[in-house]
Amino acid sequence: MKTRNLSILLALVFVIAGVAFANEVPTPPAIGSTIEDFTLPDVNGGDRSLKSLAGKNGTVLLFIAVQCPVSNAYNERMEQLAQDYKAKGIAVIGINANAAEDADAVKSHAAEHKLSFPILKDPGNKIADKLGASVTPEAYFLDAKNKLVYHGRIDNSRNAAQVESSDLRNALDAALGGKPVEKTEARAFGCSIKRG
Amino acid sequence: MRRVKAFVLIVLCVLLASLAAPAQKKKSGAAKEAAPKVVVEPIDTDKLKDILTQQRQRPLLVNFWATFCDPCRDEFPDLVKIDKEYRPQSLEFVTVSLDDFTDIKTTVPEFLVAMKATMPAYLLNVPDPEPAIDAVDPRWRGDLPATYLYNEKGEMVYRHIGRVDPAELRKEIEKLVKKGDGQSGRR
Repeated sequence: MKTRNLSILLALVFVIAGVAFANEVPTPPAIGSTIEDFTLPDVNGGDRSLKSLAGKNGTVLLFIAVQCPVSNAYNERMEQLAQDYKAKGIAVIGINANAAEDADAVKSHAAEHKLSFPILKDPGNKIADKLGASVTPEAYFLDAKNKLVYHGRIDNSRNAAQVESSDLRNALDAALGGKPVEKTEARAFGCSIKRG
Repeated sequence: MRRVKAFVLIVLCVLLASLAAPAQKKKSGAAKEAAPKVVVEPIDTDKLKDILTQQRQRPLLVNFWATFCDPCRDEFPDLVKIDKEYRPQSLEFVTVSLDDFTDIKTTVPEFLVAMKATMPAYLLNVPDPEPAIDAVDPRWRGDLPATYLYNEKGEMVYRHIGRVDPAELRKEIEKLVKKGDGQSGRR
């Protein structure tokens, strides 16, 4: 009997280990899902909740990185986005979930590239897992009630001169104009998030 | 007199040898610089589709990668070994870089040369990567590296997102290259 119990226990351990070591990133929430409030430390170590940072008309969560050249190619565009939509009641929040990039590195990077929007650290990539974020940059647009309206890339090209489809801005403009968002998902492309 | 002649001869030989040595050195240096040349071809969505879906005589391994992707760089030596090991056994292997197009003559070939990678190398040159990603695999979210194995009918038989496990990949390749007593599609 003891041997049987031990076998079951071992089998369970292997199943759990298999799941834990699976390489696939968790599935993102479906469009229309409500994103629960969360709290993460900012680059100065203070806790900031989604609720405290959210815009009155919605919030854009941007998974970004310090060292990823694709994410860095978007620095100016991300800052411009934050500036352009601040007055329209939409807040931009950066999230750095890369295990190897600490709060100091994120803070210096933001200062160097003049990123004025708040950037939070996601230790253990809990929020990245919850949202199924896989790359940087990757955007999530939540409406005023924290419902997911758009998920994916900022636009179609890391090269600003070749942008033909500003998917995130299109989604923001449609939502602000009270119109349905035509394209609710577009694959984000960039550097894989280095999970801890 | 004979002694003087012998002495002059020896001096001449030493002089000639010392003149020839740097030339030899220079020649081998030039050969070393010219040897590994890698040309990275641009590829668009249609050409990528053709490569993936065409009927071929051999199984095909495709690795999507980029120089900015750390796990891609980490796994590359394993992929080069796999290429050298299975190319003679009828495996075709191509790499598709998702680097910026401006890197096509610089960082991408430089990395391939450093890796001693000799498989055909492409760089995705499209204004929008989404249709290309969709054409490869609608389930793929575009994260790198991504490795796909196709049988000789052009059917995808294996996919791996993230750093490959070389043992697992070898096992999958073995299933294909051993088909038909290992003679499948040999040139």
